[in-house]
Amino acid sequence: MIKKIHSYLKTIWPEFHKHKQNVHLESFYTFTDYWHLWVMSIFILAVTALAPLGFVTLIHYQLIQQSVDSELNLRTEQLTSSTKSSVSFFMEERLNALIFTVNEMGYDQLTKMDGLAEILKNLKLGFGGLSDLSVIDTDGNQVAYAGPFNLEGKNYKNQPWFSESLKRTNFVSEVFTGYRDVPHMIIAVRSIKPDGSFFILRATLDTERLIQTLSSHKTGTHTDIFLVDHEGVLQTPSENYGQIFTRTKLTFPTDQTQTKVIMDKHQKNSPIISAHCFISTHIVSTPFVLVVQKKKAAMMHVWLEMRRNINWTVGISIVLILLVITFASTFMINRLYLIDKTKAETMLQMEQSQQLISIGQLAAGVAHEINNPLAVINQTAGYVKDLFSFTDEPQKAEDIIEHIDSILDATDRCGTITRQLLGFVRQFDIQIKRTCLKNLITDVLSFHKKEAEYRGISVGVSVPDTFPDMETDSGKLQQILVNLINNAFQALDDGCCLDISASQITPKMIKLIIQDTGCGIPEKNLNKIHEPFFSTKQDQMGTGLGLSITYGLVKKLGGNISVQSTEGVGTCFTITLPIKIQEGKLA
Amino acid sequence: MKVILVDDEQKFINMLEKRLAMRQIQADVAFTGDEAIEKVRNTPYDVAVLDIKMPGISGLQLKKELRALNPNLKIIFVTGHGAGLESGEDPAENDIYLSKPLDIDILIAKLNQVAN
Repeated sequence: MIKKIHSYLKTIWPEFHKHKQNVHLESFYTFTDYWHLWVMSIFILAVTALAPLGFVTLIHYQLIQQSVDSELNLRTEQLTSSTKSSVSFFMEERLNALIFTVNEMGYDQLTKMDGLAEILKNLKLGFGGLSDLSVIDTDGNQVAYAGPFNLEGKNYKNQPWFSESLKRTNFVSEVFTGYRDVPHMIIAVRSIKPDGSFFILRATLDTERLIQTLSSHKTGTHTDIFLVDHEGVLQTPSENYGQIFTRTKLTFPTDQTQTKVIMDKHQKNSPIISAHCFISTHIVSTPFVLVVQKKKAAMMHVWLEMRRNINWTVGISIVLILLVITFASTFMINRLYLIDKTKAETMLQMEQSQQLISIGQLAAGVAHEINNPLAVINQTAGYVKDLFSFTDEPQKAEDIIEHIDSILDATDRCGTITRQLLGFVRQFDIQIKRTCLKNLITDVLSFHKKEAEYRGISVGVSVPDTFPDMETDSGKLQQILVNLINNAFQALDDGCCLDISASQITPKMIKLIIQDTGCGIPEKNLNKIHEPFFSTKQDQMGTGLGLSITYGLVKKLGGNISVQSTEGVGTCFTITLPIKIQEGKLA
Repeated sequence: MKVILVDDEQKFINMLEKRLAMRQIQADVAFTGDEAIEKVRNTPYDVAVLDIKMPGISGLQLKKELRALNPNLKIIFVTGHGAGLESGEDPAENDIYLSKPLDIDILIAKLNQVAN
């Protein structure tokens, strides 16, 4: 079970974090920075997966927000309209009652002893909402009064409402304190006495009843319904703005008679929906503006609850998506890394195998070159021994010395060859060092010297004296030369030519051309020769890796290789290389 | 037994000729294929000892040319590549291959073998 979990974790745990730089392997990796690849993979997948989710969620929020706002507006507008109707009706009903009373009773009846008290009693019974009733003549004298307050004989000539009520047939006042110093409002109806002068029937409205009428429309604690005058002074108490006569900052365009709903912000900065409308009756306009305010947050708690649920769902989805993306990316990059690692290791093995093959090919030639002087040593030494074994005659010292010199010459030849071989093998160490290309070409060609001689192959080397020393990996450069020169010798018929030339093309680059007059490469194969395992030397045990590895080696040295070939005419490899390899380029 | 030795390695072949002479085997020497063809044309040799790798004509090609002149000529190849067949060798011919450095006793044994 634990093993199972461990093996499962291994598939999703980033294996590439164990990746260690290996100069031999690094150049064979397709990707160098797996951490970057992993992060980019997660980022791209996350953006691709989450962007539509976020976009849809945002649109969803906006749609819901709009529909909720629209619904709230409608409900606030409906509430405002119904409250307006109630308030208008409240005032209109009492005004009509006063008009009826004035028209029915006349001045004399109204001013008769106890007549007004009887009327007030009946009005209270019939309608309610009236505190007192009085009759006032044109001089402002209160000629009759019925009510609980001691206001008999008062003169209202200097009261602002009195002069206003004289100007109009019907009048509804703002809330004011008056003689009683208590906030109240009055309604008044102007009529004509028998002598032709005006008199006013005035009634004080019960403000508590008005406030109750407003409060009866409240739904929950988040609604504030109140009256203000046209200047924004409170006429009834407000939860949001305070007591009567508090000046609010509310303003109302006077040309607007319809109910208007707006989104606003309260002084506490909480969003509110505010609706207002001017109160008027069929009989007379009033100085009141009805204001209905609803706290948006309180009204939207259902929507907010739903949004919280959506947020949770979206949040959990995002976490799940990110987890799945992370696991999937890790799994994929892991697999990619392992495949790439295997490929790199295989390619390194192939390169090393190819090196061994090259050395093997050279070893055959070297063995031949060593065996020839060894054969001379063998026969000369054997002859000297024979001189003493087969004849009794004394041997001349000069003759013996001549034979010994011959043996020494042959050992020198062997020594030269083994030194060349050692020098050649030493180049396989990875190191950047000053390299003389001409010497390197000569060293490689020395192994083919006898073969060229035997087969009558003309080998020309053209490297100008001014050609600079290179700072590069001489082992890799040597491997390139060995592969291409070996290939050329295999392609050349006896008596053909091989030309190797080098020149400096820019201050930083050189060009190396290896040209032969061999069998050439068919045009159909030209594009394939750098592919691994492509070989036309089926009968000669070709691995198909020589040119592929040569191509890789040239790239590692920061250069380029191109080939021109005509079947039956010859092949020309052109290699461009930097004189000084860039730091960190070589692997 | 008349033997012709053909190799471009002059010191080797001169020493070999002298050692064979000490062992009562008369041998002529040729340093190139053309020289060998010329000598075989003029002298009926029994055995030719040929180096395989030589400048100009190779030992294998030379064998064909010499056989054309003397069908009874026996061939012993001497090669610096060691024992074994090289590219172009024909196993059906049953030619003898000896590797350098050469043991004189083995060469004489092979000469006697092919001559008889």
